[in-house]
Amino acid sequence: MSFYDKLDPEIAHAIHFMPAERYIAVGDDPPKARAMTIAQNLEMRASLPPTDVTIEERMIPGPAGELPLVIYQPPGPAPRGGLLWMHGGGYIVGVARDDARCIEIAEYVGSTVLSVDYRLAPEATYTDSIADCFAALTWLVDNTAALGVDPGRIAIGGGSAGGGLTAGLALYNRDQQGPELAYQLLIYPMIDDKHDTPSGREDTCPTIWNRDVSFKAWRMYLGEDYGSDNVSPYAAAARATDLTGLPPALMIVGAQDLFRDENIDYAQRLMAAGIPTDLLVYAGMFHGVELAVPDATPSKRMREGYLSGLKRAIG
Amino acid sequence: MSFTDRVDPELVPALDLFPAEMITAIGDDPPAARAMLEGLMQAMLEALPPTEVSIEERVIPGPDGDIPIAIYQPPAPAPRPGLLMIHGGGYIVGTAREDMNGIGYAEHVGCTVVSVDYRMAPEFTYKASVADCFAGLNWMVDNAAELGIDASRVAIGGGSAGGGLSASLALYNRDHQGPDVAFQLLVYPMLDDTHETPSGYEVTHPNVWNRDVSLKAWKMYLGDEYGRDKVSPYAAAARATDLSGLPPAFVTVGTEDLFRDEDINYAQRLMAAGVPTQLEVHPGMFHGGEGFVPQAAVSQRMRMGYLNALKRALG
Repeated sequence: MSFYDKLDPEIAHAIHFMPAERYIAVGDDPPKARAMTIAQNLEMRASLPPTDVTIEERMIPGPAGELPLVIYQPPGPAPRGGLLWMHGGGYIVGVARDDARCIEIAEYVGSTVLSVDYRLAPEATYTDSIADCFAALTWLVDNTAALGVDPGRIAIGGGSAGGGLTAGLALYNRDQQGPELAYQLLIYPMIDDKHDTPSGREDTCPTIWNRDVSFKAWRMYLGEDYGSDNVSPYAAAARATDLTGLPPALMIVGAQDLFRDENIDYAQRLMAAGIPTDLLVYAGMFHGVELAVPDATPSKRMREGYLSGLKRAIG
Repeated sequence: MSFTDRVDPELVPALDLFPAEMITAIGDDPPAARAMLEGLMQAMLEALPPTEVSIEERVIPGPDGDIPIAIYQPPAPAPRPGLLMIHGGGYIVGTAREDMNGIGYAEHVGCTVVSVDYRMAPEFTYKASVADCFAGLNWMVDNAAELGIDASRVAIGGGSAGGGLSASLALYNRDHQGPDVAFQLLVYPMLDDTHETPSGYEVTHPNVWNRDVSLKAWKMYLGDEYGRDKVSPYAAAARATDLSGLPPAFVTVGTEDLFRDEDINYAQRLMAAGVPTQLEVHPGMFHGGEGFVPQAAVSQRMRMGYLNALKRALG
């Protein structure tokens, strides 16, 4: 059975219009991949319908100079829930102006969303990325009154590499005795540098996030730790041996995602550690398709899965 | 962290209402358990709201004499989709009159439900149970016109032992070139006679389906095969080595269910085999909890999850 045959018929056509060059460039030519990602991001932003959510870009003090943030504020009374959002892009590309996702979350959940422009590989490694995300979380908690956020309803979340950073940040925050978190939203998170699972080895196609580019990205993100036994759980959460004391979690992934099994396994380990965990796996969906084909019925169902989970947690 | 601490707060009171003696009796004194269950089911039947679904009891020819069945017909126009519903009860207790579910499926999906009173352990073993379910499926398809069923839209499904029998029937039906089955609905299915998983050791609370009673039930259901390296996949679907060519599946289970990990693992293996599979795991839910506390938020989510999955599959 080909990869195409395993896809939901409503979204299968998308593998033909996804740009293969961009994923190849992520692994082989990060500056080129970033330029392509920025162009695609601008195009996406221009296509979005009008919204009542206000968007503000600003700088906060970070661990190594200024750290750019984007703040999405929905209309409606404060105090609101607050979400620290980490964008995707394989730890190599991506921008904080993740408008399609962040506006939808702010509207649906009625929460403030703070998206952080963390440092990327290969120029930086995971210690920098996590430090930036932790700085943004600390800033969010320190500024809840000004932001209109209820300090008892703060979540962290992200998709793909952003989901991986979310899982890493949840571990880091626990170990550093950081602020209390109400929820971790793990959307097909990139958490395992080995991909030594059935889904990590299944045939896919070059126009979606695949094994080859994923290993190249991990190599840049982990630096000299790549391939060793010393990979930090803050970089690859699947390496963590103790998952107790973490915030409640929602794990969501498509059945045709490279990360399917690593994500399911991590959710199972969270459950075994006593962490309240929702696990939703959608048939026939590949990595990121619920945004690439946003109006397809299965895409809406998948987004509804994580939006409603987040709303229950901090809405 | 105790089991009670892990259960959703809305479900905790139900732990005390649940008859531990009945669960214990399933493993130690099946006739007594059946008598207790009859009283409980009678009370549940009387508590159900009025319905437009008509319920007819009749007998059909089986492999070794007549098999009693119950037919639930919704007011929807024919041809309707059909569901062969297989009741739960640890392979030891239970009857075809699982009205809450039979009516629920008929009302929500608009399908005809045929529920089969298969032979149970310890008087019989899995061979008789699977043979009866297979006979029920064939009868349903052979009599599709009389029943008002569209034979191309027939699903099999059930909860607990009924989910286990559904998974096994899907395998048996594939291997015996039985009728086309459009969908398998596996609600916290009892799949694995070893329970050699983290959740298989976690759930020992006497008021819910627990490791001790489950192993006793397997022993009765498997007969001579119990404890052997080779157990038939028609008894314990987790033992199957080839899951290819099975109908699309939906698997749902609670995190505080003994079967959590075996069910998740089976869903993962279905996905790896290329079977379109959706998986939903709900935090804080114990085995059957959505039936005992139907008004709890997590119960409604779980129930709507499987009702909607069946509705999507059978349209």
